[in-house]
Amino acid sequence: MNDITSILWEVTQDMFWSSIAALGFSMLFNVPTRTLMGCVACGAIGHGSRTLAVEFGATIVSGSLIGAVIIGLMGYLFAKRWHAPATVFTISGSIPLVPGRIAYSAMLSLIQLSTADPKTGESLLIRASINGIQTMMILGVIAVGISAPTLFFERTRPIV
Amino acid sequence: MAASTQKPPLNREELRDIIDLSLWAGQILLQHGAETQRVENTVHRLGTNLGCEWMDILVSPNAIVATTISGEEFRTKIRRVVGLQVDMTKISAINRLSRRIENGELDRFGVRSELQRISQIRSHYKRWQVVLMVGLACAAFSRLFGGDAVVFGMTFVASAIATFVRQELSRRHFNMFLVVIATAFVAGLIASLPSAFDWGDDPQIALASSVLLLVPGVALINSADDIIKGHLVTGITRGISGGLISMGIALGLALAMEIMGVSGL
Repeated sequence: MNDITSILWEVTQDMFWSSIAALGFSMLFNVPTRTLMGCVACGAIGHGSRTLAVEFGATIVSGSLIGAVIIGLMGYLFAKRWHAPATVFTISGSIPLVPGRIAYSAMLSLIQLSTADPKTGESLLIRASINGIQTMMILGVIAVGISAPTLFFERTRPIV
Repeated sequence: MAASTQKPPLNREELRDIIDLSLWAGQILLQHGAETQRVENTVHRLGTNLGCEWMDILVSPNAIVATTISGEEFRTKIRRVVGLQVDMTKISAINRLSRRIENGELDRFGVRSELQRISQIRSHYKRWQVVLMVGLACAAFSRLFGGDAVVFGMTFVASAIATFVRQELSRRHFNMFLVVIATAFVAGLIASLPSAFDWGDDPQIALASSVLLLVPGVALINSADDIIKGHLVTGITRGISGGLISMGIALGLALAMEIMGVSGL
């Protein structure tokens, strides 16, 4: 019981901070003012559900997939509600999911590798690879997740 | 959607106008951060709804090629697309325009003036608002990574100043990678203060979060999106350019960290 409440408290805080992150980047991307709330909701709920999934034992990659699918579905509904393309909501909403910190470790390890001692450089190489692969996988599942509604519901023959 | 034969054949003047308008719309989309599939679909819809029978489109990373076909006549044009400045308002406006054309509300002349208006839309948010909110957004990321109040404050200052530096440098049309390296350097200088003076519990978090404003999130997500939808050329190019920008961030940061004498991992 206590465990559940502490998880919920954690997720609530997480949603608060990720909503601010989504808001800042939505403004940087100049989203239409009327869609701002939708973008913030996508960011908060998407990142919150990833954190929840990770708390319940999912890996960061499968957690990101869950979060991205939720963002994709929300974007699909919001697009109808606010008459704007779903991209507006899904791109701004998935920014909190983008693995900036993991990419940062990967790149920094690569740069430090240039001055590493060959005997001890292994750990840097391993860190760079793990973080690099994780970054690519998370970005891949974000793209799959946010376009999941189109991939499932709008399977018309390509027009072009 | 098969090419309908009921449409009246257009002359070369009309075809020229249609290809010009649909490529213009495609250029606005590609330049402001739309994925390849959207560019292709929109250009095709625009052209066919304005009266041509069929439209073939090739979206490459920095140019769009299109051919309009009507009856016996056809015309082809290339339009260069340079620079990427994410602007969701423009993408949304082009989407609405395409819908209005589909409903028959606009003719070619109406579309031209609409496109003129859309390409001149300014940002809804004032520059200082963006500086403040992007700073707060990066500071919020530092909270998500487990940073304390000191880290939160320093990240906010570093990212807000970095956003301002980026706006100023971009306005002066510096090279894209140069802007990224310089911005990351400035952010790194300020964000390494907690590490240098040992403020707070986990001062490295400030370094990692202060440069998040530069992460090419849209380019990277679009890259993955293009690849899963089969647009390999644009997808791979966007991925590589996103990777290079990330490398630029790391370079600027590493430079700042070397000067400040701190380690970031």
